Amino acid sequence: MLGISSFLVKTFNNGHNVMLQQARNTFVLKRRFPPSLHKKGGRVPKMRARHFIYDLVEDTNVVKKAEVKVILKQFVSGVGNAGDVLTLRPSIAYKEYLMPGIAVYASPENLANNKIKDINTEKGDDFSSPYVQRTMGCLSRLVLQITMSKQVPWTLEPWHIRASFRKTGFFVPEYAIEMPPVAIKGPDLSLQEKEFYVTVTINKTEKVNVRCRIHHWATGLDRLPWDEFHWKKPLEALIPEQATILEAMPLPE
Amino acid sequence: MASSRIQATLRQLSKTYKKKSRFDIGIASELPAAYKKFWREWKVLKPAAVHFVPQEGKWKRDELTGETMPIQNVPIPLKHPAELHEGIWGGEAVIKGFQKRDRNTRRVPHYWVPVLKRTVVRSEVLNTHLSVTVTDRTIQLINDHYGFDHYLLKTPACDLVSMLALKLKKQILTELMNGCPRYANNPDKQKEIYEEYRTYLTSYTPEEIEWYGLSWYEALTKVAKQKEANKPIPLKNVYRKNLVEKLKEAGLEEGSSSAEEMSSATSWLSKMNPFGKKDEA
Repeated sequence: MLGISSFLVKTFNNGHNVMLQQARNTFVLKRRFPPSLHKKGGRVPKMRARHFIYDLVEDTNVVKKAEVKVILKQFVSGVGNAGDVLTLRPSIAYKEYLMPGIAVYASPENLANNKIKDINTEKGDDFSSPYVQRTMGCLSRLVLQITMSKQVPWTLEPWHIRASFRKTGFFVPEYAIEMPPVAIKGPDLSLQEKEFYVTVTINKTEKVNVRCRIHHWATGLDRLPWDEFHWKKPLEALIPEQATILEAMPLPE
Repeated sequence: MASSRIQATLRQLSKTYKKKSRFDIGIASELPAAYKKFWREWKVLKPAAVHFVPQEGKWKRDELTGETMPIQNVPIPLKHPAELHEGIWGGEAVIKGFQKRDRNTRRVPHYWVPVLKRTVVRSEVLNTHLSVTVTDRTIQLINDHYGFDHYLLKTPACDLVSMLALKLKKQILTELMNGCPRYANNPDKQKEIYEEYRTYLTSYTPEEIEWYGLSWYEALTKVAKQKEANKPIPLKNVYRKNLVEKLKEAGLEEGSSSAEEMSSATSWLSKMNPFGKKDEA
């Protein structure tokens, strides 16, 4: 057994990788030859060179470190509301949450007093979900193209909007869509050059306006010609009351 | 008979004889008890085992022979380079020793050096962020203590080791003693911070805080300065001063008449010119 282990040690030591790795760790060491016993309360006997031969027991730097719990002090998009307790890797918790002052340690005292939570709920800074802000951003930047028939008459209904949302990758239930105050009927090619907005309610709490444009769809010779970068062009408001809000909403560049 | 008596006296002497410690020599004998307390915390107390795993208990039994042996943990000696005092290494230090990589090869000298990182630490009491050199262990300890201030204030000096940490601890303690003047513009926060950390003040008196975190040389300099300031004025100087004052007062009472007398008394002297020619005199 000893022979095998020594052989292994020899073969591993031939490469310089072992040494390089060892040179950058923090160590828990062990004496290979422990010093002999000394008198109670007496002096430690004089150490010989062999007493300074150490074996590595553990590298604490390589071991995975225990996670740290922190309490958020404010809403962080994609992470959580104020007062939420997060369990994070220690380096991330320290560098990204504790040092910038976004969070505090989840010490028993901090957990006991709900001061942080109370202050923020009073202010109304809370969101219904950590991802709401992101979703709101995405929706407010969106130019929703509603494809309607160029030949068959129609009236714009919430399910049209829902279907258009689904085509762009947003799954919006119908009860969350608030239609414009005026009924929009077609086909009407003048609508092609107009825009309006619908209001979407996320998680039944946060409201966001989404810019919508109607496109008349047909096949063959009836098909409307392709307009390049049509989503970047500013258009006239269909409903005059919505004009100011539509102007304020940013268009994609 | 005689030899036994000599032995007895020797034993007696050895009991009464006390070797002079560093606090008994020279100006160091005037160091206050407050500094001695800090010195004890810093240098005499045994630091926590960082680089070795101490064996628990007092005794252990040999599995093979059943022999009972005492457990004696001899700590691994650590090297404290000058750079240690510029950072906060959390009890880690450099180890100088040997590696024996194979049974049949000679031992090889080796230094185990901790991995150092530069990060930011936040001190609540001082209301600042600091950029310091630390190890992973330091960050772990800070996290375990729920904050940098708690870590410094809870940890004894022997575990902090570095001069920087000790100085910061002293500054934090002085700040607390003065009631956190850095938060003067925000009284609510000031009160909150003071309430959180005031428990640490109970283990120190103001004098102990004053003498906390001083190196040996700094403490001696402080004593010397205090001694210089409190140096007694020689009595001869005091008496001379008193006499001069008394004389002045007396002179003022008599007025200008005495001055005239003086001038008349010295008139013939002023006329004399020892360097002049003979006929002039």
